[in-house]
Amino acid sequence: MEITGDHHFKAPRDKVWQALLDRQALQASMPGCERFEEVSPESYDLTIRVGIAAIKGTYTGNVQVKDLDEARQTYRLLVAGSGKPGHVQGDAVMHLTDIPGGTLVSYTGEVKAQGAIARLGSRLLGGAAKLMIGQFFKAMEKQVEARTT
Amino acid sequence: MTSIADRPTLPKLIGERVKRREDPRLIQGRATYVDDLKVAGMLHLAFKRSDIAHGKIRSIDIAAAAAMPGVELVITGAQLAEFLAPMPIGTPFPSPAHYAVATDTVRYQGEPVAVVVASDRYLARDAADAIEVEFDPLPAVINLEQAMTGQPTVIHADFPNNLAVPYVPGGTGVDAVAGTVDNTAIDKAFADAEIVISQRMMNHRLAPSAMEPRGVLAHFEPGKEQMTIWSSTQNPHILKTFIAAMTGLSETQVRAIAPEVGGGFGAKINIYGEEYAAAALSKKLGVPLKWVEDRSEAFQATIHGRDILCYIDVAARRDGKVLGLKLKLIADIGAYNMLLTAAIPTLTMLMLNGTYDIPAVRAELTEVFTNKTPTDAYRGAGRPEAAYFVERAMDMLARELGMDPADVRKKNFIQPSQFPYATQMGAVYDSGDYEKALNLALKNANWDGLKAERDRARSEGRLVGLGLAFYVEVCGLGPSASLPTGGWEHAGVTIERGGKITATTGSSPHGQGNETTFAQMLADQFSIPMSDVTILHGDTGVVKQGIGTFGSRSQAVGGTVLMLAGDKVKKKMAKFAAAMMDANENDLVFENGMISVKGSPGTGKSFAEVASYAYVPVPLPAGLEPGLSDEAFWEPENNTYPFGCHIAMLEIDRETGEPKLLKLVAVDDCGTVINPMIVEGQVHGGLAQGIGQAMIEEVVYDEDGQLITGSFMDYAIPRATDFPWFEMDKTVTPTPVNPLGAKGVGEAGTLGSTPCIVNAAVDALSGFGVKHIDMMLRPEKLWNIINGGTA
Amino acid sequence: MSTRVPVTITVNGKVRTAEVEPRLLLVHFLRENLGLTGTHVGCDTSQCGACTIMVDGQSAKSCTIFAVQADGCNLQTIEGLAPEGGLHAMQEGFWEEHGLQCGYCTPGMIMSGVDLLNENPNPSEAEIRKGIDGNFCRCTGYQHIVKAIQYAAKKG
Repeated sequence: MEITGDHHFKAPRDKVWQALLDRQALQASMPGCERFEEVSPESYDLTIRVGIAAIKGTYTGNVQVKDLDEARQTYRLLVAGSGKPGHVQGDAVMHLTDIPGGTLVSYTGEVKAQGAIARLGSRLLGGAAKLMIGQFFKAMEKQVEARTT
Repeated sequence: MTSIADRPTLPKLIGERVKRREDPRLIQGRATYVDDLKVAGMLHLAFKRSDIAHGKIRSIDIAAAAAMPGVELVITGAQLAEFLAPMPIGTPFPSPAHYAVATDTVRYQGEPVAVVVASDRYLARDAADAIEVEFDPLPAVINLEQAMTGQPTVIHADFPNNLAVPYVPGGTGVDAVAGTVDNTAIDKAFADAEIVISQRMMNHRLAPSAMEPRGVLAHFEPGKEQMTIWSSTQNPHILKTFIAAMTGLSETQVRAIAPEVGGGFGAKINIYGEEYAAAALSKKLGVPLKWVEDRSEAFQATIHGRDILCYIDVAARRDGKVLGLKLKLIADIGAYNMLLTAAIPTLTMLMLNGTYDIPAVRAELTEVFTNKTPTDAYRGAGRPEAAYFVERAMDMLARELGMDPADVRKKNFIQPSQFPYATQMGAVYDSGDYEKALNLALKNANWDGLKAERDRARSEGRLVGLGLAFYVEVCGLGPSASLPTGGWEHAGVTIERGGKITATTGSSPHGQGNETTFAQMLADQFSIPMSDVTILHGDTGVVKQGIGTFGSRSQAVGGTVLMLAGDKVKKKMAKFAAAMMDANENDLVFENGMISVKGSPGTGKSFAEVASYAYVPVPLPAGLEPGLSDEAFWEPENNTYPFGCHIAMLEIDRETGEPKLLKLVAVDDCGTVINPMIVEGQVHGGLAQGIGQAMIEEVVYDEDGQLITGSFMDYAIPRATDFPWFEMDKTVTPTPVNPLGAKGVGEAGTLGSTPCIVNAAVDALSGFGVKHIDMMLRPEKLWNIINGGTA
Repeated sequence: MSTRVPVTITVNGKVRTAEVEPRLLLVHFLRENLGLTGTHVGCDTSQCGACTIMVDGQSAKSCTIFAVQADGCNLQTIEGLAPEGGLHAMQEGFWEEHGLQCGYCTPGMIMSGVDLLNENPNPSEAEIRKGIDGNFCRCTGYQHIVKAIQYAAKKG
């Protein structure tokens, strides 16, 4: 399923860019994150706990930052996780642009599910993904703030 | 001696709305389904299933599961395969090895990979969840027409291009023996055509969804060396034979019992991997094992139905006469062949003439493997597909010619004088009066009035459409030549010492009410009260032989053989009565619980007196053995071909695209009716499933082979609010194929309703230039048409 | 899952006490612990209504309730709907009007029908259809079920 959206940061673009790619900031912003280990630069193993209806459960997986293009201010974020309810994969392109008073981070990508999540939770998946992305950006905002002050 | 005059006259029961004798236990919650059974020492099974559609099993880690207290055994597919061979199928087509539990490769999402045996069902499920399986994923083969080209991969190495059944030609000029095809007639039809209609149509995939999921309890008793297997099945005798073969037991060592069965709709004909695994593991462990499917499993692991793509070309004259039909059918049968999988689309082939006298028909069939749950018989099983393709095409022809859809059909109907009618597709239709049924439906629906109503609604801007469909079905299966299991049925009739009748039938019901209709028949046959007749079924320890309940065969085949068994006993009873009365047996009549000499109503012996004498025959009449019990096997020479007409009125919401069924009129002809109330119930149920297919039911997989309609949240089975009041009627054209004249009715409702609703939807949207809409009638699809898009 | 919780539940007029796992569904408590197998399980997402019973006089799907949540409640199941040997008007209606075929959905359907008439003793056809919208039947197409409920309503 396709997922697109954006988030408005009140900080300048370079600060947002740095924070989004920072290990500590990423770890602190991952909703329900219980474990976060760097396996190689820009690739992290993690465990997160999700508490949303049919997709509720503990997931272990991996986050990777790829195709980093600082000049065009875009990168690709790959997320994969497995838990009892099944497997989830996300693949999104992030893009940062200047806007008056801050930075707009827009994302467009796809989420795929397997197992019980697909069978029982597919209708919830879009909503859950939006919710978690929202939580992520809210937390990331705090990280950016902490870094700019 | 009792006088007949003293006895109340017994009413004839055949043809009456007799209340069902099954009901008291069912309405009080006292019936026993598989999941209600408990046997001392019973353990529970749970299956670990594949989350992916296609992949190699790299590893299975059972350590955590096996270590849980209360877990008796965890076994992988490969380990199970050491003592459980691949599952047999019931059709003569080649088939890839299909293990009860996958050994090294999974080919659909939900395929079992390991089994847990535990003391409690919650625990069994916990342990299954604790099994870790690693897969090396393979590309999922999902798109039917890509699959046929071997893309993106081949599922079974021995089946190139995923072709399960590569090419079956049928119709005019096809010599099945020589395998030759002569196209002269069909080419001429299309050369002579004044109009040709061509359309691609999809008859999509459905989930049978009996309210009682599958369940099995297998109990092997070591020492006694006997297996008892209770299963929610439509055919316990076939189950017995297959379980015996697969567990290395003889048929004499296996007793199969279908207790109360909560619906089947074809899906419980199959013998599934879970049943074989339960039986094999019970034998290995020497303990009773129970498994009951949950609904999520049912969506993945119980067979699906339909899923046939059709390319149809109709050659016709401008006056509506159809000269020829060309069809190319491609069936998506899922990942494996099950019991009858490969045969189902051949039934579609058989019925492609519809109710029409068409000079030339040419059809070809291809069956294709995909990474989906296997398909097999689902209510109608092949015939609704044929009715849908042909009736949509007839409707398109009518629309193209500007003719009334009823007139196009009348123009092409096989006439009553033409029966028995050998079709181009190889069927021999037994009897029919199609125009009579059509006219009755038109009259009951007030067809012209409805058209005026539709036009009035349209002038107000409402999107209202009318649809009509006429169907013929093949039922009462059938001669053994047409059924790999054998096309007969078996019955036994015993008159007990006290004059009550105990009868057995191989037709094992799951809601059809055989205990009632069969008792009605025997009560009439012997002229005794229905309360004196008991019908036993569903237990191979009680019912000697049998085939089972499918293909709308209970009444036509099971009912007939019961009557024949009854005749045998009746003849013998007449001999005993004749000896008692010193009369000629041929002069005796059975009336109101008495056996007396014809024309001498004041004299005679009561039924009970004669029965009692037969068991203590002093003196034993010459040439007679004691007792009153006999049995019969019988198979019909031909199938039966019931038919009918369904008419629908439907409105589509212009703002949302949501369709609403306003009216449904049905006229069905199933020959002689034993119990009209039960027949109505059967048609209602069929209509509901046929309407469900047209409007709201669809099994959906995503491109990775993930089943995304895996629960009742996403797979919409119809609710009470989805239907208008069905307006029912019937014509009665008895079949000459059996002495009852009954044709069968269980599946009829699904045949006409589906195409008539799609026809109505196309009619409603005809103003937008649409000629065909593939089911289901998703509001989004209809909204797109309304808003200038395509179907 | 070894923690067990004591519950006291009145079922069909009899007080039952048991120690149950907190995760035990009420429907399984009825079926497995009490042997009241007239209440059925037809799905695992609370859609089908085969498990419908009365909880403190109102219909409820017993698969959506944990046994521990029913502690102190008064339950009625299909087995307790009519006094021994008799039939409730709703049961009679289902028999008279052929409101069932395989019978699997029937106990839940009957309980929903009873609840519907408790709230609306004289429902229209549309109100009946809406009233049983949470109960699936795959056999009957619902028409004879509607008639069964109409029969019971007429009988009062």
